Amino acid sequence: MQSMLLQLAEGMATSVAIFVLTLLFSLPLGMLVALARMSKSRLLSGLMRIYISIMRGTPLMLQLLVVFFGPYYLLRVNLGSGYRFPAVILAFVINYAAYFAESYRGGIASMPRGQYEAAQVLGYSRAQTFAHIILPQVVKRVLPSVTNEVITLVKDTSLAFVLSVTEMFTIAKAIAAAEKTMIPYLAAGIFYYVFNFVVAMLMERLEHRLNYYR
Amino acid sequence: MKKFFALLLATLMVVALAACSGSTPAETKTFTVGFDQDFPPYGYVENGEFAGFDLDLAREVAARNGWTIQLTPINWDAKDFELDSGAIDCIWNGFTMNGREDAYTWSKPYIDNSQVIVVRKDSGISTFDDLAGKVVAVQTDSSAQAALNSDDCADLAASFAKTLTFAEYNTAFMELEAGSVDAIAMDIGVANYQVAGREDQFVILDQTLVAEQYGIGFKLGNTALRDTVQKTYDAMLADGTVAKLAEKYGLSDCVID
Repeated sequence: MQSMLLQLAEGMATSVAIFVLTLLFSLPLGMLVALARMSKSRLLSGLMRIYISIMRGTPLMLQLLVVFFGPYYLLRVNLGSGYRFPAVILAFVINYAAYFAESYRGGIASMPRGQYEAAQVLGYSRAQTFAHIILPQVVKRVLPSVTNEVITLVKDTSLAFVLSVTEMFTIAKAIAAAEKTMIPYLAAGIFYYVFNFVVAMLMERLEHRLNYYR
Repeated sequence: MKKFFALLLATLMVVALAACSGSTPAETKTFTVGFDQDFPPYGYVENGEFAGFDLDLAREVAARNGWTIQLTPINWDAKDFELDSGAIDCIWNGFTMNGREDAYTWSKPYIDNSQVIVVRKDSGISTFDDLAGKVVAVQTDSSAQAALNSDDCADLAASFAKTLTFAEYNTAFMELEAGSVDAIAMDIGVANYQVAGREDQFVILDQTLVAEQYGIGFKLGNTALRDTVQKTYDAMLADGTVAKLAEKYGLSDCVID
């Protein structure tokens, strides 16, 4: 029992690593995608529209396979076994960036026109307006929908096994197979719940802290 | 709170980096074995370590050749991708040769295996005829599935109400226990392992679907590696190493001498 929990905890470390690395890269990347998607250049915004459409329109499991096996099957480049974990992160990042981008876009678009005009009158440049006036409000506004995605990400980490990265759920499955019991699944469920509980709590606290005008 | 986050992030980055650098190719040749880690007694996890008849054999082969062994649990559905792309060197994990003869470069067969049917003890099913109108589970892309799809078993398979595929056998056993499937078609070695200790719940039917052999599967054309592994295996067979491992995993009846 103790050994089982220890093994699951080890798998949890991989799950958490996937989670943190994905957020680290996809949160900022999502902002770039959102800005490109709203850009005046029709080429850029068109490209981003296609990218978002593909990322949202195909299963993450398929995207994982394409990212890992694509280089070999499409370009005949063999990236070897060491590419596994980076491939998982890459696939998660490009997938989640697309979702985040759409959340951000909603937030940016919801800002009243008058704020830009007022900023212009006060002598703010476009970049300054965005960084100092628009962005802080957008962050507050999109937080609840970002929290939603973040919580989904915690559970999506179990998809990493498609590329044979042994995160927690994979280990739970393996123990269940060897020991012929369902307890590892129950334990895994509790692990996920606690993880998400902590994530939700932190996000709520952040929301509260950013709520400085009320 | 910020400091805590920073610390957490830093720790994770280090862990991730360590994980990456650990998998870079070493000076000595690595022998990467792909296997399904939910497939006892051939390959599974015991107390956090990889165990199993096939994996012990693979370790010994690597040790005798001075290779570094890398045991890589794979997603069974993606095994051909893994092998073709060079992510793994071979599939060594209760891998049925029959029906796949031309798809891989094979070692000589080393295990005699047959496909059997497992049912609940209280189900009242004792022969294949009793399976008519029942729901039968098989593993995706397994040899049991291939057997049921073959011409020899066409009538039997047609008599089932439904054939359901599962990612691994443990889920299938959960379903069998819960009553949502009536029978599981699977390899006898795995069936013996799964039923052991639960004889009051499950029985293995005496009739068998097909007899078949296990081999080690290499990428088509990779005869050089195949020959080296085969030579080492033959030596292990001759000096009794194979027999000893077979006894350890309860497979003595199945090993091909």
